[in-house]
Amino acid sequence: MDSLLDQSSLFLQQLVNGVTLGGVYALIAVGYTMVYGVIQLINFAHGEIYMLGAFLAYTMVTVFGIPFFAAFILTMLICSCFGIVLDFIAYRPLRKAPRLAALITAIGMSIFLQNLALMIWGSQIKSYPREVLPPILFKTAWSVGDVTLSWLQIFILSITVLCMAVLHLVIHRTKIGTAMRAVSQDKTTAALMGIGVNRVISFTFAVGSAMGGMAGILVGLYYNAIFPTMGYIAGIKAFAAAVLGGIGSVPGAMLGGGVLGIAEVMGAGYISSEYRDGISYAVMIAVILFKPSGLIGRQIREKA
Amino acid sequence: MGFRQLGHNPRLLFFGLLLLAVLLPWLPLGSSTNYILRILTTAVLYMVLALGLNIVPGFTGLLDLGYVGFYGIGAYTSGLLAIHYDLSLWVILPLAALNGALWGTLLGAPTLRLTGDYFAIVTFGFSELVVLVLRNELWLTRGPMGLPGISPPSIFGHPLARDWEFFYLILLLLIIVLLVVTRLQDSRIGRAWFAIREDEIAAQCCGVNLIRYKVTAFAISASIGAMGGAFYAKWFKFIHPDMFKFWESILILCLIVFGGMGSIAGTMLGALILIPLSEVLRAVLPQGLFSARYLIYGLVLVLMMRWRPEGLIPFEGAQARKARLARERLNL
Repeated sequence: MDSLLDQSSLFLQQLVNGVTLGGVYALIAVGYTMVYGVIQLINFAHGEIYMLGAFLAYTMVTVFGIPFFAAFILTMLICSCFGIVLDFIAYRPLRKAPRLAALITAIGMSIFLQNLALMIWGSQIKSYPREVLPPILFKTAWSVGDVTLSWLQIFILSITVLCMAVLHLVIHRTKIGTAMRAVSQDKTTAALMGIGVNRVISFTFAVGSAMGGMAGILVGLYYNAIFPTMGYIAGIKAFAAAVLGGIGSVPGAMLGGGVLGIAEVMGAGYISSEYRDGISYAVMIAVILFKPSGLIGRQIREKA
Repeated sequence: MGFRQLGHNPRLLFFGLLLLAVLLPWLPLGSSTNYILRILTTAVLYMVLALGLNIVPGFTGLLDLGYVGFYGIGAYTSGLLAIHYDLSLWVILPLAALNGALWGTLLGAPTLRLTGDYFAIVTFGFSELVVLVLRNELWLTRGPMGLPGISPPSIFGHPLARDWEFFYLILLLLIIVLLVVTRLQDSRIGRAWFAIREDEIAAQCCGVNLIRYKVTAFAISASIGAMGGAFYAKWFKFIHPDMFKFWESILILCLIVFGGMGSIAGTMLGALILIPLSEVLRAVLPQGLFSARYLIYGLVLVLMMRWRPEGLIPFEGAQARKARLARERLNL
């Protein structure tokens, strides 16, 4: 009887951890999915923006002594500017070039930024110093038996849900959101209707990058580790989440992130912890092969 | 004959360089000969790898981010066969190529139906999975302990040990691969690949079986990668899962983008320039920053796409080549 109880509380704990992780994946996935929706490009450098977010906040709180929540907001702002600049210098000149060229540029940018971070911050794993963080984050908010939920997890989940809700409203209720949907359907027609296509694309990059940078800070807090290569693995997983949910769809990113987070944590707990990352890749490959439109995505056309 | 004309006669240039390469071990370079030979062996190995990768993004227009997976499969095939069965390199090479082609077909057949972006990401996932398997299946690969003690290749019972012997061996491999790739390029298969690269729908309308030719391209590319890996294992005598990480794929992609995607001469030139460059960086950069050399490769990718997407030596189709040769003949 006892062991049965242990089993179920272990399962619940895993579920809680998985949902938290999924929330973070969803935040990163939004950046992929929105950019893909608008310009049909896998922005490989998005994972690097997430990594830069973690490091920027780290530098702000340790070197400049900026309070944590101010650093949080500042990082989001800087990351969104960064996304705009990235689009402006790397992708915009290639808008009319073959897709292969844009993809290779995205890969190149990702490698470049990752190694730039390696040169600036070094390869050692860093963590946010405990004393600059609000102490409440590390307290247990709620516990039943062996299952615990920390304030940090609540913080991560509520931020995720809040962001997704706001984003959903922005996309469906505001003028710029309508413009985004128009551009994602047909750039030329949208331009003829008086929409500043490049402005909309910049906006998309800004929003996606802000969320990515925020996710970087949250993961840095959650795992207590920031390092230059964190972006590339998380980026691929988040992309997997975006594909799983249906690329181009924000609720899809949320759903995909959640499913992937749970699958990863459960897989690591019950199947094999060595293949933790492998589970995400396998899920991604399986989804791409069998249901490339994702769980709630629209059908993808071969050629426009 | 002037230098300019030499540039217009790739065959003469190639044989000149080959002669130089063959004579190289015997030139009076003093004590640095072996060092130079080792760097050049690496450069030629990457030429072979780049020629293999070039078939997929260069000829067929699909971004393959998982090439290093096949390189790793080849290396481990070679290492394991050498350790457990003590096979000779001449048996191992074709077996590794076959194994590479097998995995290439297994991966390619379902995934090549996808659009280009999804294909890129699936190949990436594949190469990461290969590294994970190499790292975790201890019973087969010894995982992070690596695979030491691979016997060197031997020719007529004489085991190769000296640097120039390996250099000649990889030159031989390069010539074989080069022969295969150039013949493929000018064949019916090659024309089908170019048609797919230029416009899939148009190619399909002209009766090109998309899946069949894409899978062929992918399998041939994978088998060349695996052969490169087989040589690498026999040369280095030690392999480790970390040698086959995603970075290597990027490096090889960088070689062909820099030299000229789809262009055989360009691909080789890219390897000949960028691989020794990394040795220069090793000497110039401080210890801790050496791993940041990929910064330069990333930058090369971005800058080339922006300013010279066709690379140093642009790809030249058969028609364009014929036209140019005819023009030159008239000038003479």
